[in-house]
Amino acid sequence: MTGTLEPLGQPAPRKVALLANCLLNQNAKVCEGARYRGVVNPVVEALRSRGYVLQQLPCPELAFAGARRWWAVYEQYDTPAYRAHCRRLAQAIAPLIERYLRQGDEVILIGLDGSPSTGVRFTSSQPEWGGRPNRPQDDWEIVPRRGVWIEELEAELASRGLPPVPATGWALDMGRFDEAGARRDLEEFLDGRREHNE
Amino acid sequence: MSSDVRGWRVALVPENLINPTQSATKTVHACLRALEASDYGVLQLPPTPEHGLLLAVIADQVAEYAHHGYAVVAVGLRSASGDGLHWRRVAPLLRYRGTTPPPRHVIRPDADASLEAERLSSFLTSYDLPEEEQRRWRV
Repeated sequence: MTGTLEPLGQPAPRKVALLANCLLNQNAKVCEGARYRGVVNPVVEALRSRGYVLQQLPCPELAFAGARRWWAVYEQYDTPAYRAHCRRLAQAIAPLIERYLRQGDEVILIGLDGSPSTGVRFTSSQPEWGGRPNRPQDDWEIVPRRGVWIEELEAELASRGLPPVPATGWALDMGRFDEAGARRDLEEFLDGRREHNE
Repeated sequence: MSSDVRGWRVALVPENLINPTQSATKTVHACLRALEASDYGVLQLPPTPEHGLLLAVIADQVAEYAHHGYAVVAVGLRSASGDGLHWRRVAPLLRYRGTTPPPRHVIRPDADASLEAERLSSFLTSYDLPEEEQRRWRV
């Protein structure tokens, strides 16, 4: 943890939302996966209206497999090299997160459900995927587990003795995207946090 | 999967623009609204330049965009301590990755709100890659 206090939107304790990179930048999405032009405004609006400041996380897939990568499932990213890359990213962002937590800020995490990397409640799975990406559109499964990046980020925070961060996911990568449903889901999570804290 | 609607434009932005302080002027809020209403995705810089590893990670991402058909800009916010873009750290990181530092626009927080938001919108709208580059990558 670095020593000096840094300027952030509100005086501590604050409400801080850690955001999957692509929720502020849809250009990070895998080819054919962007559902918004740039910022995912429904997520940002839901958070800002509840007083959260935003902390964008790095995108692990973009820097590892590039902007022109194919889509993939959890098993394809579950490799030692990719996990080492995710750990480097976690070490880059962890000092900021640690500062928030040590100051007593309320920190939450909004990932991307269905993503092989950034899934929180769900990730995509299909152990048979590999080679040329010509599989039928819907032959992967959605399974209840973290994506690889979130697993490594949580491991890095735990290694620093930090408590688990309450987390949910914006359900963008669950197959057919239902924005209204995703928004309801997110708002229930955020309002549940508010009731929990009152 | 289909109907990808990405904007192909990315803005590097400082922490204090994404999260305006309580004392931020109307102009800062107006510019933030203009930015979020644009077709740009944003990459949030850390609040201070001491986060060297994070700046390197962000530079990796900027380089990847710049090399593959994305228009990248930097939007700073003028303050007593600079514009929040940490350019003395970021520009060499980009050059090391073979990337020319992107064009910069600096918001003047004490200027008229609507005029400054319009100035930002105009900058964001007017910048893009040459058409030949767009056709090469944006299929």
